[in-house]
Amino acid sequence: MSEYTFTVNGVRRTVTEKKSLMRYLRDDLRITSVKDGCSQGACGACTVIIDGETCKSCVPTTDKLDGKNIITVEGLTDWEKQVYVYAYGEAGAVQCGFCIPGMVMCTKALLDKNPDPTDDEIRYALRNNYCRCTGYVKIIRAVRLAAKIMREGKIPEASSTDWKMGSSVHRVDVEEKVLGQGKYPDDFYPEGMVYASALRSKYPRARVLAIDASKALELPGVIDVITADDIPGENKIGHIKHDQYTLIPVGGLTHYLGDAICLVVAQCREIVEQAKKLVKVEYEVLPAVHSIEEAKAPNAPLVFDEETTNVQAHEHVSRGNADEAIRGAAHVISQHFETPWTEHAFLEPEAATALIDDDGDVFIYSTDQSAHQTLHECQLMLGTKKVKVQNALVGGGFGGKEDMTVQHHAALAAWKTRRPVKITLTRAESLLVHPKRHHFIMDFTMGCDENGKILGVKAKVETDTGAFASLGGPVLQRACTHAAGPYAYENFEIEGTAYYTNNPPAGAFRGFGVTQTCFAVESLLNMMAEKIGIDPWQIRYRNAIRPHGVLPNGQIVDESTGLVETLEAVKPYYDEAIAAGKPVGLACAMKNAGVGVGLPDTGRVKLIVGNDKKLHIFTGASCIGQGLGTVLVQIIVESTELHRDDIVYERSNTWISPDSGTTSGSRQTLVTGEACMRACRSFMEKWNEGKRLPDLVGEEFYGEYLAKTDPLGANVPNPVSHVAYGYATQMCIIDKKTGKVEKIVAAHDVGKAVNPLSCEGQIEGGVVMSMGFALREKYEIDDNCKPTEKYGSLGLFRAHEVPEIVPIVVDKPGLKVAGGAIGLGEITSIPTAPAITEAYYQYDGERRFSLPAVNTPYNK
Amino acid sequence: MAVKKKFPYRAAVVACNGGCRAGKTQDTKCIYGCIGCEQCVIACKFDAIGINDFGIAEVDESKCIACGKCVSYCPQNLISIHSCSNPIVVKCSNHDKGKAARSVCEVSCIGCGLCEKICTADAIRVIDSVAVIDEEKCLSCGMCAVNCPRGAIMDLRGILTGR
Repeated sequence: MSEYTFTVNGVRRTVTEKKSLMRYLRDDLRITSVKDGCSQGACGACTVIIDGETCKSCVPTTDKLDGKNIITVEGLTDWEKQVYVYAYGEAGAVQCGFCIPGMVMCTKALLDKNPDPTDDEIRYALRNNYCRCTGYVKIIRAVRLAAKIMREGKIPEASSTDWKMGSSVHRVDVEEKVLGQGKYPDDFYPEGMVYASALRSKYPRARVLAIDASKALELPGVIDVITADDIPGENKIGHIKHDQYTLIPVGGLTHYLGDAICLVVAQCREIVEQAKKLVKVEYEVLPAVHSIEEAKAPNAPLVFDEETTNVQAHEHVSRGNADEAIRGAAHVISQHFETPWTEHAFLEPEAATALIDDDGDVFIYSTDQSAHQTLHECQLMLGTKKVKVQNALVGGGFGGKEDMTVQHHAALAAWKTRRPVKITLTRAESLLVHPKRHHFIMDFTMGCDENGKILGVKAKVETDTGAFASLGGPVLQRACTHAAGPYAYENFEIEGTAYYTNNPPAGAFRGFGVTQTCFAVESLLNMMAEKIGIDPWQIRYRNAIRPHGVLPNGQIVDESTGLVETLEAVKPYYDEAIAAGKPVGLACAMKNAGVGVGLPDTGRVKLIVGNDKKLHIFTGASCIGQGLGTVLVQIIVESTELHRDDIVYERSNTWISPDSGTTSGSRQTLVTGEACMRACRSFMEKWNEGKRLPDLVGEEFYGEYLAKTDPLGANVPNPVSHVAYGYATQMCIIDKKTGKVEKIVAAHDVGKAVNPLSCEGQIEGGVVMSMGFALREKYEIDDNCKPTEKYGSLGLFRAHEVPEIVPIVVDKPGLKVAGGAIGLGEITSIPTAPAITEAYYQYDGERRFSLPAVNTPYNK
Repeated sequence: MAVKKKFPYRAAVVACNGGCRAGKTQDTKCIYGCIGCEQCVIACKFDAIGINDFGIAEVDESKCIACGKCVSYCPQNLISIHSCSNPIVVKCSNHDKGKAARSVCEVSCIGCGLCEKICTADAIRVIDSVAVIDEEKCLSCGMCAVNCPRGAIMDLRGILTGR
C-alpha cells in the first residue's frame, strides 16, 4: 500500500488514500476553513499554501503531495491572525465570508514574498479568487492595510469604536470568518453522519413511468433510496405557489433537468454517486418548451399538467392615459430591449445538514434567506410540526437561496433514515437547480415634451420564468411597478406576462425585475435626451421625483426622497468627465425597501437577557452577508445605554427567534431594524425603573413592526405601495485608450447609513455584479434546456478587472421608522447597466439594446 | 545588466518538454519539438534561456524580461511570451493526434481533449491536435495539468507538477 507523507500546519500527516487535498483537509482533518465552493478549480474558496505558493486545494490529490508543506488559515501565527482580523475588519472586506479564508491565504502568500506590494500586485495576487459580495474593492484595501501593519509591526486602534448608528465599526462576525471558524452547513459533521444526493431527471420534460432502485440498494454502503411514495406530507411545495415537486412520483411530469426523481443515501459521497448510476428510471420523453416564443405558441406543450396554458403570471398596471399622453407628445421613442438569464454565483453552493434531535424533531442546519420559510416548507413536506431550523452562516444568497434546494431533501432523508444526513449541491447542480434572474423581452415607448418632461410611458414585457413559479409573480409585479422610473409623471401603462418553460426556474435575484425594466427605461431616457438636445443629467434633474411628489404608481413620496441629492452628488464627477471629453453614461433608479403591495411584511425581534448577563438578539431575519447582525447591534447601542460588549447577535433559528420575514426586498435593515427599536423601547422601560442587566436575567423584550402598505390596484387615489424607496444615480466613464470601464461613480440615498462602511461594500459589490450583467456574464442554456456546468465560464468579474469605483453614501432623514434607515441591498445593482451602455454609446456611437453589451473589450 | 521589469511580469516559455531527448541524442523523434540548436541561447542578451538536462531550451523567468528575441530566433516556433502570473503552461507543440504523438514522446500532447472538458473556465482548447491555453480566461487552477494523462501541461512553480 502506497503512503504519502506531507506536513499540514506544521504537523506531519501520512495518508494512504488518494483523494483531493481539499476533501482530505475537510473530511479527514476537519480543517473547515478550507471551503468547497466548486471543486472545479474556479472559485478559490479552497485556496491553501503549498510550499509557499497559493494553490486551489480541490486540484491536487494526496498521492502527489509527498514531502510538501501545506498551510491553511488554522496554521497562521497568532500575529498573522491578529493582523488579518484587524485589516479585513477595518477595511470592511468581510461580507458573507465564504471567499475570505482563500483570500487570506492569497494575502499571506503575497506578503511573505513581497512585503510592500503595489495595488496592481495586490490585484494580481487575488485575481484567481472570486468574490461575489464585495466587488473586491475592500479586500484589496485589506491587503494593503495588512502589508502596512506587518511592516510597522503594530496594530492600530480601529478607526471607529463608537457603536452607535452612523459608525463604520468592524462587523461582529469578522473574526470567525477571517479565521475560518464560523460554520456554514457543510462545516457540520455530526456523529454517524451519512451523505445523500438527488438523482435528477434525464429529460427536461418527460413522464416518469417507473423507478427501479433495486440494484442501487444492493450496493454495499447504500442506506436507502427515497422516492415520492416515502413523502409523509405534501410532495408539492414552493415559496408561494406549491408547484415544486420534492420528488417526481411515478406518473409525474418533470419540468426541468433539475427535478429530483429520488434521493440516494449512503455512507460516503463516492458510494452515493455510484448508487445513483444504478437506479433505473423509465421515461416517456415528451417535447419540451424551450423559450417564451414556444411557451405562448398555440397548441404549445403544457409545462404543467394542472394548467391550461403556460402563463404563470400576468400584470396590467395603468395610471392616467399613457396612449393619449404619448399621442400628444412632441418627442416619441419606441425601442425593443432584451436582458439575459443571469446566475447568482454566490460562493457557497447550497448545503444542508439534517438530523433527528433529542426532542425527536427533524433539525436542519441551513443556508437560506429565511429559516422560517425553510421551516414551513419542510413542515408541509413532512406533514408534521416537529421540525427545527437553525441558520448556519450563509455564504451569499442574492435571492438564489429563497427557495428549497437541499433543505427539504436533507430533512426528508434524515426523517426517513433517522440518521444525520448532509446534502451539498455540486456547483453544476447549483447552476442548474436554484432559480435565476429572469430573461426579459421588453418593448417600451416614451413621450416627452420639447423640454424633456416625460409625459407618458407605455410598455410590454415578457419573461421566461422556467420550470416553476418560485417568485416569478412578484418579480413580474415589481418589474412593472418600477418600470416607470423614479420620475414625476402620471401617465403610465405596462402589461407583463411570465411564461413557464422547461428551462431552469427563474425567481428572485437582486433587483427583482427592476434590474431589467430599469435598463429599458433609462436607456430610453438617454436616447430621448440626445433626440431633444438636452443633457442626460438635466433631463433627469427635471423629471426627478421630489419629496411630496407623486410617483407614476400614484404614491405620494415622503421627505426622505433623495433622488435629487444623488444626482447632485454625482454632478461634480459628471461635469469633470464631460469637460475632459470622456465618454460618460448616466442612469437613475429607485427600488422599494420592504415587500410592500399589501403583502405581510412584519419584522420581529426578541431581546433576551441571558445567564451571561448580556442582551441576546434573536430574530428570524437571516444575515446572508449584508451585515444585519452588526446593524442590529448598532441600533441597540443607539437606542439604549448598553455598550457593544453587552450585546450578542444570535444566528436565527425557528424555536426562539421570531419570524421576521425573508431577507429580500432590501427590507431587513428597515423592517427588522424598526422591530428592534421597539424591543429596545420595551427594554428601556425597565432600565428607566433602575433595572440593569444582572437584574433582568431571563427577561424577554419583544418588538414587532408591520410595514403596512396598500395592495396593487387598491381603490385609493394615492396608494402606499411601499413604506420606503431607496434612490440612486450611477455614472460610468469609459477609458478612451483601452475601451474599458475607467470609473463608476455610484451615489445612493440610504436615508440613514447605519454602518457607512457596510453601505460602501454593498455599493461596490452591487456595481461589480451589475458590470458583469451588463458586459459579460452568460448563463447559457442549450437545446436540451441544459445550462452551463462551469463556474469559471460564467464571465464573472475578477479582482484585476475591476475599475475605480467611487461609492457615495447619501443620508437623508425623513423616514419615520428604523431611525430613517432604508435598505440598499438591491438598488446598487440596478442602474449600472444602462449607465454603462450609454457610456459605450458615447465612446463608439453604437447603441446596445440587449445585454451583455456586444463589441466591447469584455465581450467580443 | 539590471533591467527594470514592468508589472504584470511576462516571460518567454518554451512549449516543449524534451520527452524525446532531442539535442542530447541527436535522434529527434518529434519533428515539432525543440532540436537543441541553441539559437535562442545565442540570441538572449540576459542569460535568461539555456539548455537543460533533457537537452532542450528552458527559460529562467527571474532573468527574462520578455524582449521576444528568442521567440523570433527559434526555427521551430516553439517559444512564446506568457504572463508570469499564469504558471500553468502547455509544454508541447506536437500537432499529431493519439498514437502518432504518443510514439514520438512520452510526455506529448495527444489531442485527447480531456483538458478542454475539465476546464471550468473554457480556457484551454485543443487546436490542431495540441492544447492551447487562453491566458485571459485561465484561472491558473492546474486542473488540466493534474488530469492530463500525458503530463504535457506543467505548473512552472513545481507545485502541482514537476517543474
